[in-house]
Amino acid sequence: MHIPSPRGAFRVWQRDLTIFRKFWKPALFPNFIEPFFYLAALGLGLGAFIGDINGQDYILFIAPGLLASNAMFAASFEATFNTFVKLKIDRVYDAIVSTPVNAEDIVAGEYLWAGTRSVLYGTSFLIVLTALGLISSWWALLLPPFIFLMGLMFSVMGMLFTSLIQSIDFYAYYFTLIVTPMFLFSGIFFPIEDFPAPVPQLAWFTPLYHAVNVCRELATGPSPAVLIDVLWVVVFTFGLALVPVQIMRKRLIS
Amino acid sequence: MKNGRAGADSTLVARKLRKNYGDFEAVKGVDFEVRRGECFGFLGPNGAGKSTTMKMIYGVAIPSGGELSVVGLDVTKDIRGVKRRIGVVPQENNLDEELMVRQNLLVYGRYFDLSKKSITQRADSLLDFVQLSERAEAKVGELSGGMKRRLLIARALINDPELVVLDEPTTGLDPQARHLVWEKLRQLKNEGTTLILTTHYMDEAAQLCDRLVIMDGGRIITEGKPRDLVKENTSPEVLEFRPRPDSLEALRELLAGEAEHVERSADLLLAYTHDSDELMRTVRRSEIPLENTLYRPAGLEDVFLRLTGRSLIE
Repeated sequence: MHIPSPRGAFRVWQRDLTIFRKFWKPALFPNFIEPFFYLAALGLGLGAFIGDINGQDYILFIAPGLLASNAMFAASFEATFNTFVKLKIDRVYDAIVSTPVNAEDIVAGEYLWAGTRSVLYGTSFLIVLTALGLISSWWALLLPPFIFLMGLMFSVMGMLFTSLIQSIDFYAYYFTLIVTPMFLFSGIFFPIEDFPAPVPQLAWFTPLYHAVNVCRELATGPSPAVLIDVLWVVVFTFGLALVPVQIMRKRLIS
Repeated sequence: MKNGRAGADSTLVARKLRKNYGDFEAVKGVDFEVRRGECFGFLGPNGAGKSTTMKMIYGVAIPSGGELSVVGLDVTKDIRGVKRRIGVVPQENNLDEELMVRQNLLVYGRYFDLSKKSITQRADSLLDFVQLSERAEAKVGELSGGMKRRLLIARALINDPELVVLDEPTTGLDPQARHLVWEKLRQLKNEGTTLILTTHYMDEAAQLCDRLVIMDGGRIITEGKPRDLVKENTSPEVLEFRPRPDSLEALRELLAGEAEHVERSADLLLAYTHDSDELMRTVRRSEIPLENTLYRPAGLEDVFLRLTGRSLIE
């Protein structure tokens, strides 16, 4: 078992930050603007026909969930396409492993960076939601750290997939069969609990479901039950984190 | 030095070093020692095990058996320590394409936990050393092959390494670019840096290396100074005959009797001798038809041909 060194991970995170600082304006924009389309089309458009869900305006219902999906997309792109390019096309990791930074540090550094990027996107989106009056609780101040945690979680998932594939084409499977179904069936757009079995039971096993629950609770004022969702996210993230580390190490060090 | 077996001036010691990938044995038990300040070469054809040996030195391949100590540290126990003190010029360009030329050095220096001030100073003097100061703010993609290789060399020097490992430093470069790389490597050597390089070019090995090993099929087949290897393994002069195909056998028989030894490489017959004038006269007298003949002094490729029966570059 290879355990990453924090210092090495920090150096990799720093490299990603250096590049992000050059491209952040064009890179930030699409990911930032995307949730507003959902907010407008579904929250305002569809919301006009729906009225209330669980006693909330429809747009108020979906807004916090979009924070979670936004973090999922940001971290997923980072841990899939961006990581694959560094691994197989630009060979950035090959250069790094011949320095005192080891292969295991690289993976940990990419987790941290995906978390950071999610926070940058998510927090800017959160600020706008607050300005629009869609956030109603001071507990929302805990959202940025939770967005970081979500970034880590979806980065670990994406990295696991990346560590297993040989061709960039396989990401179509990941996004179509894993990311998109989660996006649609994790309770962002409608309460999943009202579905017949086994849909709610299945949803319980997906990370985005718990992420959405936490975001919604923090945006409106949480109940103690939210701790179970937080615990789920923590256990899933840290329980799985070292698996891609070992597989990626095998790909870089023979 | 570990076990006290190596000389005090050795910076790298390999004992019965092995590496296999599944059933394939890429390196089959090699022994060598590199002394501080020398340029040590690994010469051999593709697939000889040179690159695998290099990768074990800088920790990208883990030895399957034997011992390998680099800058006094066991690679299986303290690879981070080894990597901190050596520089690596890889065979394939892996510069960070998303960063500018100078930034490549700055970001790479951070991987060694060097202070920002010392990285900046060192980056500027290294760009100067590899003659890339004017391209400091260029994109990596805009550089020529030779410039990229020089930048890789500068990058490998950012931590002021005691030992620099170069895997085929001039493969794919045009002659002018190769000479510039050689000049830089000679300067480094003169400043006291230990260099280890792999190559399949004889002239490169002869020009740069103080000592070298010839590898073939995962084994070291001989070791020595380039000039001594030539002296010990072959005669000093070579005549390369290209006979007409139908007279190849006749010429081979004649040469077998007259020359010190004969090798065949495709449609060429190579005759090794101390007296090429005399041998040439004998061949002319025989009136065997020849298409052309070339005289040259013997070199490392003749050593390789003699020891393996094969050409180095096929």
